[in-house]
Order: sequence, then C-alpha cells, then structure tokens
Amino acid sequence: MTDLLDVHNLTVRFGVRRKGGMFARQTYLTAVDDISFTVRKGETLAIVGESGSGKTTAALAIARLVSGVTSGKVELEGRDILPLDRDDLKDMRQKVQVIFQDPYSSLNPRKRAEDIVREPLDSLTDKSDPEKREIVDQLFKAVGLRPEQKRLFPHQFSGGQRQRIGIARALSTQPEVIICDEPVSALDVAVQAQILNLLRRLQAEYGLTYLFISHDLGVVQHMCDSVAVMYMGKIVEHADRMSLFNKPLHPYTEALLSAVPSVDPRLRENARRILIPGDPPDPLNLPKGCRFASRCPVAAPECRESAPSLDAVTPSHRVACHLVEGETSPLATLSAS
Amino acid sequence: MAPLLKVENLRIELATRAGVAPVIDNLNLELAHGESISFVGESGCGKSMTALAIMGLLPEGIGRVASGSIQFDGEELTTASPRRLRQIRGNEISMIFQEPMTSLNPVYTVGEQIAEVLRAHQGLGQKAAWAQAIELLDAVQIPNPKSRVEAYPFQMSGGQRQRVMIAIALACTPKILIADEPTTALDVTVQAQIFDLLRDLRAQTGTSIIMITHDMGAVAEMSERMIVMYAGRKAEEGPVDQVITHARHPYTSGLISCVPHIMANLTEERHDLTEVPGIVPGLSEFGQDLCLFAPRCPRASDKCLSARPPDVPFGSARSSACWHAEDL
Repeated sequence: MTDLLDVHNLTVRFGVRRKGGMFARQTYLTAVDDISFTVRKGETLAIVGESGSGKTTAALAIARLVSGVTSGKVELEGRDILPLDRDDLKDMRQKVQVIFQDPYSSLNPRKRAEDIVREPLDSLTDKSDPEKREIVDQLFKAVGLRPEQKRLFPHQFSGGQRQRIGIARALSTQPEVIICDEPVSALDVAVQAQILNLLRRLQAEYGLTYLFISHDLGVVQHMCDSVAVMYMGKIVEHADRMSLFNKPLHPYTEALLSAVPSVDPRLRENARRILIPGDPPDPLNLPKGCRFASRCPVAAPECRESAPSLDAVTPSHRVACHLVEGETSPLATLSAS
Repeated sequence: MAPLLKVENLRIELATRAGVAPVIDNLNLELAHGESISFVGESGCGKSMTALAIMGLLPEGIGRVASGSIQFDGEELTTASPRRLRQIRGNEISMIFQEPMTSLNPVYTVGEQIAEVLRAHQGLGQKAAWAQAIELLDAVQIPNPKSRVEAYPFQMSGGQRQRVMIAIALACTPKILIADEPTTALDVTVQAQIFDLLRDLRAQTGTSIIMITHDMGAVAEMSERMIVMYAGRKAEEGPVDQVITHARHPYTSGLISCVPHIMANLTEERHDLTEVPGIVPGLSEFGQDLCLFAPRCPRASDKCLSARPPDVPFGSARSSACWHAEDL
C-alpha cells in the first residue's frame, strides 16, 4: 500500500514571553521537535501521550491549523502542503478534515445541524445547492442521525449526537485523512463505544485514513494500526499495533501501559506497576539529554548526556532510547538482573 | 459493628422546570469502617448527587431530601442543623472533586487553604496550622513542602493541585473521604500516582473512601465493593471482583464490555465494541414504576415495562435490581 501522509522532520515552535517585567524577553517553546512518520492509506495512526506532549499540536500542524511550523515537510499524496497558498489550501482542506474533542464547543450554537454539516461544502467547494442538500441527507444517514433532526440546534442534541454532527461535518468534503483529536474523551463510556464503532465502520466504508490523537491507551489499542508515543515534543516510540502493545521497548511506553487501571484481576496481580515519579520537565528549559531521563527508572549517565535518536529495531518498530539492546526493553533487562 | 454510614430509603427531589423529579429514588447503602466503595455509572445517574446529600451540600432551594435517612456514626444527618453539618463537613466527612483547577481558590496560597481547615475545625493557631500544612504537603508527597506551601495554585501542575486537595481533605483525618472522579482530569501516569497515594493514606489513617467514577479499571484498583447506579436508582451492588466476573445486571455488563480494555496478549483479531444503545433518560422520566434501563436493555421484556424491579439479594453481599437477575 502507498503512503498517503508523509511527515518529515516537522518542528513547531511557539513564541512565549518569559516573566521578568520590563526585562521580559521572547523565548520559544518547541512543542513538536523534529518528528517524522508515515501513514498508509486506509490505516489509523494513533498518537498517544500525556498533556503537553505535543500530540495535538503535531496533528493540527498537519491540518495547517497552527502557525509556528519552523521546519519540515508534510506530504499528502506526495505533495508538500506546508507552503500552499490560499487557493491550493482549499483543495487540501477538502482532503484533510478534523473531528474535535469537545462536541459542546466545536459546533456553532446558533446554526442548525444541517448548516453545520454543510459549512465545509459552502466554503471549500463550488457544488450546487441541490447537490449539497443531497450530500447532507446522505451524511445524516451515514452517522446515524434522523432526517427530521436536520433543523435542530446543537443544544437540542446529546453529547454523542453532537459528536455525530461533528463527524458528518468532517466527512462532507469526502476527505482522505481525518484527524480525530480525542474524539471520545468528552463522552460517557456507553456513548464512547457507539462513536468508536461508528468511526471504524465509516473507515471501512469510505477507505478513510485516521490520525487518531488520544491519551486513552485502551481506546488506542482498539482503534489503531500503528502507534506513535510522544513525550515532550518528541516521538519516543513508533510501532505497529502488535509490537507496541505486546513488546513495548521504551521505558515511558511501558510505564504508560502499566499505569492503566485494569479490570482483569489476574492482569492486576501479574502487572508490575512501573510508577514514574514527579512531573515532566519544564518545556522552556529542556535537559540536553533524553527528556524522559529525570523520571526514568533505568536512566544511565549517558541518558543525561546525549539525546537518543529514533532508531529502527525492526522495519515496523522505532524507539528512541540508549538502553534498548536488540529487541529487549531496558526494564525487562533490569528485572531479569 | 454498626456501619459507619447507613443510607436508608433515600429520596432526593430536584425542582426542575418540568416539575419535581426524584434524582435519587429509594436508595439503600452501607459503608463500613475503613471500607472503600465506588459509585459507578454514567453522568446523570445520581452518583454525585448522593455524595452531595451525604455532605449536606444539595443545591439550596432546588434539591431536598424528600424522605429516608442518612446516618453517620449513628447520627441522623438529614435533620441535623446547618451548624452541626458545618462541624462534620471537612472534619469528619470530606470531599475531593474532579477538577483540581477550579476547586482551589486562586488568590490564596495552598498553605493558607490547608491551614484554614485546621484553624476552623481543630482550633489551631496561625503558626501551628501553618506548620501542620507543611507536614501535610509532605504527607501527600509534594517535593520541597517548606517552599511549596507558599505557592499559589496556578504555580502547580494538575497532579500537584490534586495532591493539595487531598491534603486539605485529609487535614482533619476524616472518617469518610468522598472522591468525586478524582483523576478524570489527570494523565494516566499521574492518576497512578494519586491512586497510590490514596491507598497509602487509607492504610495509614483507616479512612473509609467513597469513590465516584465511570472507569471500571479504577474501581477494580481502588475499591472492595461497588454500587452501580442508573437513573437515580441502585442497579447492582456487590464485591468488585464478583461483579466484574459475573454481573447480575445488564447495565453493569454493558458498562464493562463497552470499554476497550487493554489486553495482556493482544491478537490481530478485533471485534466491534458492545454498544449500550441510547443514553441515560432525562430527569422528567425518573421515578416511573418500571425499569428505567429497559429502553436500552437487550433483555427487556413486558414485565420490565410494567413494574419497577426490586433489589433481589444474592447471598449476603450482593443485590441486583433486574427482573431477569436470576437468569444472568
């Protein structure tokens, strides 16, 4: 299969003012630091990480929705979308759509559901009115909303239904890639399942490619084909679904996986909980070595000296850790000795 | 031993535009000394409302205890004076909330906010309260407590703020700590830290914990017993491991199976998640004499729509309010 999305060395920096009254000076916060990955057509790449890891910024940069991209390339079907100007952007925006986290604040409360779904068609395409109406009708059906709900306003819908409106809006321009930014984290558990099933069904039906941003590893495990784990702006591990969940290599990935509370009592007893202490480092004052070193249970002196690069262990598994030897995780080495 | 907390036939009514609705409808529960239980269910099922009723914090003029009783250590709380409730609140029963960002006062240092509780309830002087605030910050594992005590909430991370909330809640070594979704706003690694802290503190102080959550994994990790609530009623109750391995109410099984849980040995195979169709009914539909879960239930029969199912006991510790509980 071909690579639909090809991200090379993407870096996003934001200007921030440091405190200090009249001596305040401008510094930069590197939210996304030199990340590269590819996504094949029809597949789902999940980007996981904790708040502040840069996962949402990376995804929004790929949708050209943040300024501050300082270097890198984002190729969609072989064409770099970062230098595109207004007119070409319209074409690109049809191909890349976003589903947002909060279905309460991402819909205009003063517009009717049908107008919200239709909005991208109005601003990005030159379809005729009857065409648009037909598309909207089909979309309502596809996402499981009833035709008579078209005239309602967002407040008349439940959270799950609102997210369905958001999904219909994202589908309206027949996109290639949909960026799902925490699409279910604002929803109740029972409604989550409805939306996740819908997303998978739509993916199969329309051959969609998803960039799935989430902090919920259970949801990610269910949805993804491959996973990139981010920590403080860097990808620390990137692997196909089976490798990442069955053979995680980076200590941070292992800690993340072991932190998820489990309902299975056997799993709970066997699990060695890897508790990582403290909070992440200050993003304005990053250490020169590995960014995870300050919280890493196995950090060695070299980890504080130089930053590890993201190297391939197998063709579908990359990890950025000095202590990974072959295909053995440093934590496994530690517990064996 | 008599239970520490005993809620009997509790009915709480909420005044809405459409009329009076029973947000809590004939609820019975007990909490033993030193026990940790969880209230589980979707939003709008009455979990937080039950907690607020125990705290005597029902929204004034809107919510009221219509009937039933809440007994804490043998004392009736529903008829207690506001003065007496103030003595109990924060002292013998305290609560931490979901959002540590908004539940701390932004214009006071965290030290002042911890010391305030000690001065109000324990009659400590300014200096003694401050010294103890530092000890408490140390107990909740905030690094450099001596300097951090002067920090304002905005200078702390989300996890640290939740630790401060826990310090405030535990300042007077309460008999009951109510934790309302204490980690929902936090990252998983921080959640693991907070759970560890709560477990340690419970082991040290013997505090009973009521945790409110919708995460079955968190329940399994933190509690011995759980109470599943649906639309203001108790759907199921029992020891956590028993309920998870063999739920006696379709709502409980739905809640467990609709969540994609991390699997130990992942296979290529993937199934659709089990859906619980629909959503929790609105308040106007609460209180009817039928099973309120029936419209979303795969096992619903005519009987479910004709009468409210009673709590059917299974052994001494379990019960389920389902007409089909025996067959499940």
